[in-house]
Amino acid sequence: MDEVRIGVYICDCGTNIAATVDTKKVTEFAQGLDSVVVARNYKYMCSDPGQNLIKDDIKEKKLNRVVVAACSPRMHEPTFRRAVQDAGINKYYFQMANIREQCSWVHENKEMATEKAKALVEAAVRRVAYHESLQTREVPVNPNVLVVGGGIAGIQAALEIADGGKKVYLVEKDPSIGGHMAMFDKTFPTLDCAACILTPKMTTVGQHPNIDLLSYSEVEEVSGFVGNFKAKIKRKARYVDETKCTGCGECTKVCPVHVDNEFDMGLSQRSAAYIQSAYAVPNKAVIDKKGVSPCRVACPAGVNAHAYIALISQGKFKEALEVVRKSIPLAGVVGRVCYHPCETECERATVDEGLMIRDLKRFVADYEMKIGREKAGPVEITKDDRVAVIGSGPAGLACAFDLIKNGYRVTVFEKAEKAGGLMRYGIPNFKLPENIVDNEIECIQEMGVEIKTGSEINDIPDLFNKGYKAVFLATGAGKNKELGIPGEENDNVFPALDFLKKINSGEKIAVGNKVVIIGGGNIAVEAARVAWRLGANDVTIVYKKSEAEIPASDSEVEEAEQEGIKFKYDTTADEIVVRDGKVTGVKCVSEAKGQKSDQFVIDADNVINAVGQAVEKTELSKELAFTDLGYLEVDPVTLETNVSGVFAGGEVVAGQLDVIASVAAGKAGAESIDRYLSGNDMREGRFEQMPRVTKVNKDKVKTKTRVVMSKLETSKRNDNFDEVELGFDESLAIEEAKRCLNCAVCSECMLCVKACEAEAIVHDVKEQTLEVEVGSIIVATGMKQFDPEVMYTYGYNRFDDVLTGLEFERLSNASGPTDGVVVKKNGEKPKSVAILHCVGSRDENYHKYCSRVCCMYSLKYAHLLKEKLPEADVYQLYIDMRCAGSGYEEFYLRLQEEGVNFIRGRGAEITNTAETPEEKDKLIVHCEDTLIRKKRRLPVDMVILSCALEPSDGAEQIGRVLSISKKADGFFLEKHPKLDPVSTMTDGIFIAGCCQGPKDIPDTVAQASAAAARALAMISNNKVEIDGATSEIIEELCSGCRICNNLCPYSAITFNETKKVSEINPVLCKGCGVCVSACPSDAITGNHFTNKQIMAEIEGVLA
Amino acid sequence: MEKTQTMSFLKEVSQVPGGEGVNLCIQCGTCTASCPSAKIWEYTPSEVIAMVRADMRDAVLSSSSMWCCLSCYSCTVRCPRDVEPTSLFHALESLAIKHGYKPKNTTTPVMYNSFVKSIKKNGRVSEFQMMMGYYLSTNPFSALGMMSVAWKLLSHGRMPLSARKIKGKKDLDKIVKKLNEVRGAQ
Repeated sequence: MDEVRIGVYICDCGTNIAATVDTKKVTEFAQGLDSVVVARNYKYMCSDPGQNLIKDDIKEKKLNRVVVAACSPRMHEPTFRRAVQDAGINKYYFQMANIREQCSWVHENKEMATEKAKALVEAAVRRVAYHESLQTREVPVNPNVLVVGGGIAGIQAALEIADGGKKVYLVEKDPSIGGHMAMFDKTFPTLDCAACILTPKMTTVGQHPNIDLLSYSEVEEVSGFVGNFKAKIKRKARYVDETKCTGCGECTKVCPVHVDNEFDMGLSQRSAAYIQSAYAVPNKAVIDKKGVSPCRVACPAGVNAHAYIALISQGKFKEALEVVRKSIPLAGVVGRVCYHPCETECERATVDEGLMIRDLKRFVADYEMKIGREKAGPVEITKDDRVAVIGSGPAGLACAFDLIKNGYRVTVFEKAEKAGGLMRYGIPNFKLPENIVDNEIECIQEMGVEIKTGSEINDIPDLFNKGYKAVFLATGAGKNKELGIPGEENDNVFPALDFLKKINSGEKIAVGNKVVIIGGGNIAVEAARVAWRLGANDVTIVYKKSEAEIPASDSEVEEAEQEGIKFKYDTTADEIVVRDGKVTGVKCVSEAKGQKSDQFVIDADNVINAVGQAVEKTELSKELAFTDLGYLEVDPVTLETNVSGVFAGGEVVAGQLDVIASVAAGKAGAESIDRYLSGNDMREGRFEQMPRVTKVNKDKVKTKTRVVMSKLETSKRNDNFDEVELGFDESLAIEEAKRCLNCAVCSECMLCVKACEAEAIVHDVKEQTLEVEVGSIIVATGMKQFDPEVMYTYGYNRFDDVLTGLEFERLSNASGPTDGVVVKKNGEKPKSVAILHCVGSRDENYHKYCSRVCCMYSLKYAHLLKEKLPEADVYQLYIDMRCAGSGYEEFYLRLQEEGVNFIRGRGAEITNTAETPEEKDKLIVHCEDTLIRKKRRLPVDMVILSCALEPSDGAEQIGRVLSISKKADGFFLEKHPKLDPVSTMTDGIFIAGCCQGPKDIPDTVAQASAAAARALAMISNNKVEIDGATSEIIEELCSGCRICNNLCPYSAITFNETKKVSEINPVLCKGCGVCVSACPSDAITGNHFTNKQIMAEIEGVLA
Repeated sequence: MEKTQTMSFLKEVSQVPGGEGVNLCIQCGTCTASCPSAKIWEYTPSEVIAMVRADMRDAVLSSSSMWCCLSCYSCTVRCPRDVEPTSLFHALESLAIKHGYKPKNTTTPVMYNSFVKSIKKNGRVSEFQMMMGYYLSTNPFSALGMMSVAWKLLSHGRMPLSARKIKGKKDLDKIVKKLNEVRGAQ
């Protein structure tokens, strides 16, 4: 190495440094250091004469190293590096000592500051001696630009770049661009209509050949480096084909789901299929689908409860029934007797009470019967295969229904006189009238299902011989289990199933005054209620377990209790006491909490055995295999029996089942038979769970309990079998349906599909990921409004007419929920309005910063109020008026002229307790009028809270994806607050608009244009310089452990499989040094930060 | 005493424990608007702060304003600048006493004194002694108006006539002594 010749230059920086550091002394000191050829002191080293000093010395004194002691290298390192390079030496032979930010500005004692400056200079001198010549690299710049956020900032930046002839990808998370500006009414101080000045820009973006508008999308991942980024963009499923949608809005009209409209700040409602606003760009519909509603997931038979509830809420009863019939044929039956697992899962239950989902289903079935059912047309038979269904209970009918819809020819065989199974013969008429069952069976027959009653089938091979290709067995469990106690065989002891069947068939059975029922299922309770109706006055149910364990449904037990039926829990019947051939009682033992009682006798004239059901094996074909419990043996998923082509489901397989479970089994059977006959896989895709919606917003739900269904009075029940529950009328059904929270938003009722003439609606698409390559990224993710609900004293969400700024903005907007008429929640026009400034801003408890725009937009609101309601009193409660900007102070003056009351004092509290007649029914704003030092109470009709601006919700995520930092207030950190407010610390990523800090529209537009200019400058330069200070791996030392590979934050390190060593891509490397410190074999060197350089620097500081 | 009076009043207040926030105030009036007793303050709470900053030593320390503070802390909770007005007003009270001001139209200092006396004597408050002390130093006849309440309290054993002393009274004396040294109070 040549002799080291160092020049040291000490800057005064005017008085910035010289006032605190004795620069003369530092210069003298530097002169005496090793290898220092020359040391000079100058007033402004960064000036041209200052730089020339260095250049001249390099030439004349043959310097080969330069140290400048001045400000921060972030400020002027590039300046001096350039000077050094101009004079002919490598720019890395330069070192900067910071004696301003780290010395003169932070110290007061001149002597000590001077000593510290000396130490810093010596450190730099010693370090620079070891500097090495490094080369910078240049890489090409991809000319495409990614703009994140489609508010006014993103729109402006995108247009600037696109007009410059470069390609822009504009990503917007909402269905339309426009951001907050599209929601505003007027803009201050010129009072231009926001939409009027924004929509032309929005339309241009939509039509610009250089802009690829990616609405309803989010940036998920970004890799690469300046000039060469790769971005993964999630395109959320819109469920509308953008290329086909014409924006006609027909889908929004038929959609039955209504939820709060975010665009109107929840002041109006929108449908699940919606177009964001009248001037949306792109003007395409979107379907808001957040998953599958819990009621729908819970239904064993997959009935889309959400859809029929939504349709009922809109009075579309016929369509609602169609939705039910899409899944099951038995709306009226299931609507009466289902144990409704959907209601258990209903999210509304976490607010007040779950919806009466079952009863709503019943309502649509009843409604159809009331207005008269249209004959169900025969379904077109498209398949050649014939299928036999044995048994016409819920399982059999559901199976037949699904099969015929699928185009199979189906025959149902029923051994009884009439079809319906236990629906007809098991459930008493006061719960399920026979005409309901008749109607639904008729409907199935009209569709083309052939039902052969009075035909018992116990020879399956014979069926196959007759040409049936598959058989579904749903013969049920029609045998009553035996009690197994003495006295059972007496004639006055009835098996429950026989008892109910006889009653339902119209036979007369005489019962005594006292009846005991043994068992605890729904059948036991039903039998008890029948006995009571037959004239028994003293009916007791004896159940062996506790009240909590009784399998009968809660509502069933409750009804029975109301009818006077007694329940004996924890009681076992030991013997039926028979005297003179007649039953006189039941001998029982009760055992509660382990305490066994003595035997006692419950008097009884009749006993009904309701201990359970079993399968009558003799009725079934002999080839079939049974389980140990006596049920048919089937595959639990496919329902295949041991005989090929024979499937079975329902009670014959599972024992006693609820109707809906039997229906589900029938549907599963139909599915299996279809797969079997089509030769498809029997199992594939059958385990898929519907994606239940995970988060349901219940914040603003006002409690409202269930609508009560009227019932037959208990006194009118005991001598007849009239139905007890009387159903809803139309208005009650709608009222109840409107309680639905619309958990998943879209209910998939499919009305939109029918309504869309362009056939643009596709309900089964998934979100997609798009990958784009860009050279630079402009982040314009904007802001959101502070939620004032946390400030309890302002009563937001407690009082009706306390509004946020954005809410007022919509209220006042001609395209808003009231077409621009400013009204209170009750529809009256306000006579006085108070506007409270600094809500959440300038407040240590929330945001310390001033949100900059609130004073001005508050003035704008005051103007709009004065314009629309000239008689109204408008109060502005301010702390300081901040009206800095072109025409802003003039606007303030104009508002003073318009007669707005300005009160200097912050609104402290809003109450509604009147102390004087004038305050009655008013909101009272408490404040101190600080200019007269008086505490005041302002009675007003409406309060507008001028809320702070916060970083938008998406900012957090995008900040993480792009690795850009945030300031303490949450807004993105700019590279330099004054000189580079559009750049970030990451090269090639720029910021614009409110994501950098609260600002008004003019500032936002200016910043967006500036960011665009920076991106364009980079593109027109065509290349970017990559710093030479990168890390390097010494191959001989690398052990190939790969620790560094995953640590590198820039993915710059890869493993060379042939050489078995890691390699650093110098273009990607940022020289951060993570790998250097992590390498266990010291194989990585950080160029420009070598061990030698750093040790020398430390020694210099300590010398 | 000599030394502190040469210091500006604002600086003095800002150095008293509790008075640190006085410089942060932006005069928004939230404290006044939140104050349940503001009506009876000679100057409103925010005005008192403004007067401190205007160096109006005599006017502030001789006023009855801060003595009207009920320590409800509404102002402290709502103050957007963390001025902690409640503590500030108590700091002003203690400054007023320290500098020997006799606040007009308020007997609150007498009550405070009576309270402290009772504590110094017994290590805890004796309600009877405290109230006796208060009424004897103010208007003994006004005590008559409280007789029915006093009788109820006495009859329910809620206000014993004789005071109970705490254990470790000597230790408390040491604490009080030290406190007086530190704060320079009498």
